[in-house]
Amino acid sequence: MSRRIGSQPLGNFYNGGKTRTHREWRGFKDTWYDYTRWLFLWKTMIKFMLHPQNLKGFFRYRWMVNYLATLDFLDRHTEGLRGPQLRIAHMEFDLIVEHMCDTMSSLFAADANIGGDPQKSKKIVVFDENMMTQIMNGFPNLHCVCMEIPPIYTASTMCQDAVTHYIDVAEEYGVPSDVCPMPAAELGVAIDDDYPIVGCCAVQCNTTCDGSMMGNGIEARRFDIPMFQLAVPIRYTDPDTKDYAAQEIKNAIKFIEDTTGETFDWNRYFECMKVFNKETEYFREWLEISRTDYPQVVGNNVALYRDAYYQVCGGRDSHFMKNEKAICDIMMKAYQEKNQIVGEVRHRAILWGVQAQYYSAFPLWLQNCWGIVPLIDMLSLTSTDLYSEDDKEQAFYDMADLYAKMNMRNRSEGGYEVGVEDLWRFCEEFRADMVIMYEHVGCKSMTGYHGLFEEEARKHNMHLIWVTHGLMDPRKASRSDMRTEVNRYMHTVLQEKPLDPSLENFDDGNAW
Amino acid sequence: MKDLKHLYYFENLLQDVNNDLVRQAQEEGQTVIGITCYQIPEIILNLPGCFSVRMRAPRTGSMEMGTYYMTSLTCEYCRAMLERSLEGGYQFLDAMISPASCSQLADCMENIEVLKLCKKEKFFIQHVDTPMKSDENGVNHMIKMSRLKVLNKLKEVYGIDTSDDALKKAVALHNEVCRIITEIGEYRKEENPRITGYEFAVLCLITYCCPKDLILDKLRETAEELKTREPDKDYKKKYRARVLVAGSECDDPELIKLIEEAGALVVADRYCFGSFPGRQELILNEEVDILTQICQQTVIQCQCPRYMNTDRIQERKDYIDQLAKEYHADGLIYQQMKFCNFWGYERAASTHIMRDDYGWPVLSVDRPYVVGNSGQMRTRVQAFVESIEIKKIQGGDR
Ligand code: SF4
Ligand code: SF4
Repeated sequence: MSRRIGSQPLGNFYNGGKTRTHREWRGFKDTWYDYTRWLFLWKTMIKFMLHPQNLKGFFRYRWMVNYLATLDFLDRHTEGLRGPQLRIAHMEFDLIVEHMCDTMSSLFAADANIGGDPQKSKKIVVFDENMMTQIMNGFPNLHCVCMEIPPIYTASTMCQDAVTHYIDVAEEYGVPSDVCPMPAAELGVAIDDDYPIVGCCAVQCNTTCDGSMMGNGIEARRFDIPMFQLAVPIRYTDPDTKDYAAQEIKNAIKFIEDTTGETFDWNRYFECMKVFNKETEYFREWLEISRTDYPQVVGNNVALYRDAYYQVCGGRDSHFMKNEKAICDIMMKAYQEKNQIVGEVRHRAILWGVQAQYYSAFPLWLQNCWGIVPLIDMLSLTSTDLYSEDDKEQAFYDMADLYAKMNMRNRSEGGYEVGVEDLWRFCEEFRADMVIMYEHVGCKSMTGYHGLFEEEARKHNMHLIWVTHGLMDPRKASRSDMRTEVNRYMHTVLQEKPLDPSLENFDDGNAW
Repeated sequence: MKDLKHLYYFENLLQDVNNDLVRQAQEEGQTVIGITCYQIPEIILNLPGCFSVRMRAPRTGSMEMGTYYMTSLTCEYCRAMLERSLEGGYQFLDAMISPASCSQLADCMENIEVLKLCKKEKFFIQHVDTPMKSDENGVNHMIKMSRLKVLNKLKEVYGIDTSDDALKKAVALHNEVCRIITEIGEYRKEENPRITGYEFAVLCLITYCCPKDLILDKLRETAEELKTREPDKDYKKKYRARVLVAGSECDDPELIKLIEEAGALVVADRYCFGSFPGRQELILNEEVDILTQICQQTVIQCQCPRYMNTDRIQERKDYIDQLAKEYHADGLIYQQMKFCNFWGYERAASTHIMRDDYGWPVLSVDRPYVVGNSGQMRTRVQAFVESIEIKKIQGGDR
């Protein structure tokens, strides 16, 4: 046990219980750092819980209980990390936790279910999960809440069985069991009347796929507020769809103006886009370094964080920009020092398909167990374009472009070119020799390419490892099932031995 | 009832996508366009010199290859089509129009494209984005896409005349077909209908699967024949309930036959490639541009669940309610192709809404692409018919 990466058999932490048996020893400096962050998170959460309105929310909503696993979540997502990677992970996740606490505090403060303030509620515009929020950059007096994020999206990463109850509710209602659990669970929350009652109006969007759009339609019946449906083109790469998309954005803005009495503030919009662009520049630097022999910001350190600032914050919270700058500094230093993020880099992998929410720490397992470096994942490969900072007409097209390229949607819609072809381009750019191909059994958007992926991988001489999962429903394929698929490939096809044998098989079926 | 004179002929035509009439028209120099979905106005694909054919996979057996490419977790209609393509069953097509209807269908089309399964020299697959709302922006988008992606492409590749005159001719032909189908369909309102749902399904489907001008004669004759056709005397014994069928695409009248054999006469068809919507005339006016009128009709009438605006979601329920009343249905059957996202959700919600808010008895089922003699389906329909009968005996409204 030392500060050396891989010095501790990480699988031994699991004995079939909810939590791990003990904390990781990472050498004095890193352990101390990790401990101070742990204390910081406790402080953040206790502060959150001390607020009476938040306490009420905690007891009102069954999904809130999942957030008790927040600290365990942090431990899972920093497992085996040392030095720069440990720091980057904490800088990102700690900020996300703070941001989530803020979001939930605003939500509960306005929530009619628990006697919230109606005046605050009037200032909230309800958005979809997975929906870009850049439109709100022009409404500084309003607050935007992506309604499904606290009960479903984030909750399902905290705790592996966090949303199974809501999936069951949707199935009992009659939604077929083969659909994607994400929209199903979101609908389940609506059926159970477990969404906070907030907002003066809502904007829904055809976000990721057919299923998610259909779930919205039923959910809309439960929200008793004016609602606008923002229709983004499906074949968004076609330039001939741009006018339609831009007009949809104009209509959505007009709807918000008409229902709230606010006026779109262009100055504020462009200020936020400056922040957003800066963030994109930092992200490009991350990617640049990931193409080299010494990648630094990879795996979980990209996946969940990118979602938060690209989509949920959309340039409105400059804390994220400052954070990225700091991460860039750490990254560059580590790169110059030729820091290796695992004991031995055996494979460079692109993670494609939709990741399992209940096993968002899977990329970390890949690197710790097998030395497979998860360079980048499909969901993070969203737009890296820079958008106008002063042209109003262009801004409508920019927003439309961003809405089309939402997280997940920019690959699940748009066709073969972005769903399949781009993968091989990224493999080449990142000099990957392996693709970890998530096969989410309920996702009807990517499944239709199954055979083409197989054939193309052979043509490109690429190792392709299928990892089947159920997105938010671990009953469809457990964390252990996911690992087994990789283990099998590594043993039988590549005939390799794990870097950390204790991680090959361990019991986390009951863990958070 | 006496058999309809041309029913057997029509049934035979439906046994093959590349049927005798399609081949005849193609030999006469017509361009054949495969379509999968009614998101793109059918009229603009039936201009002088070209016609559309509904892509189906009749007599599907194994879908193993389709399943290899698309997995066993996708819609069987899509897999069956891919299988048929891999077998070379769509080689006769000159083009395919693939609207952005559902993602599984789009994936299926892309498989056909990437695997180069249609080999004609000038063959193309055109992917077309289509609107998801029935507002002004949606209509404008449809007009733009129809012009750029469909009409211009047909003109450029096959020299098809896409002028207003040509469009007018296409509207006239469409209207002629619609008039006949509507006239025939109206008989289903009768207390003792002189036509079964199955017969109607065959006649309606044939209009999507053949060059329209080549079926007009026999359709007209059938309409004439029906004017004097005597309905079955033992109607009440055979059919103990009247139902409206709604849901996923249905390109096999055997499904309707199965429902009717189980005791429910199908009096209205609100599924893709049925007559509601799809077989309504377009009455042109002189003021508005003709393509605009065509697109407006498609967007405004479209009942696909992918139309996402709240008022449209509500309208879909009202539409079914109104149809069911008009055709004196006793209940509704919502059927959904297994693994279909759109209808999976629409069926779930509608089952509750049509039952609770509109008071209709509803049977909600999923089904495979090839229904054949599905015992399960038969049992479900029989039980549904019985429940309707019991309600009637107990004096319930419906
Ligand atoms: S995982 Fe697939 S099915 Fe689920 S929301 Fe995303 S795109 Fe849709
Ligand atoms: S039945 Fe449903 S899944 Fe199948 S092609 Fe039609 S809309 Fe798509």
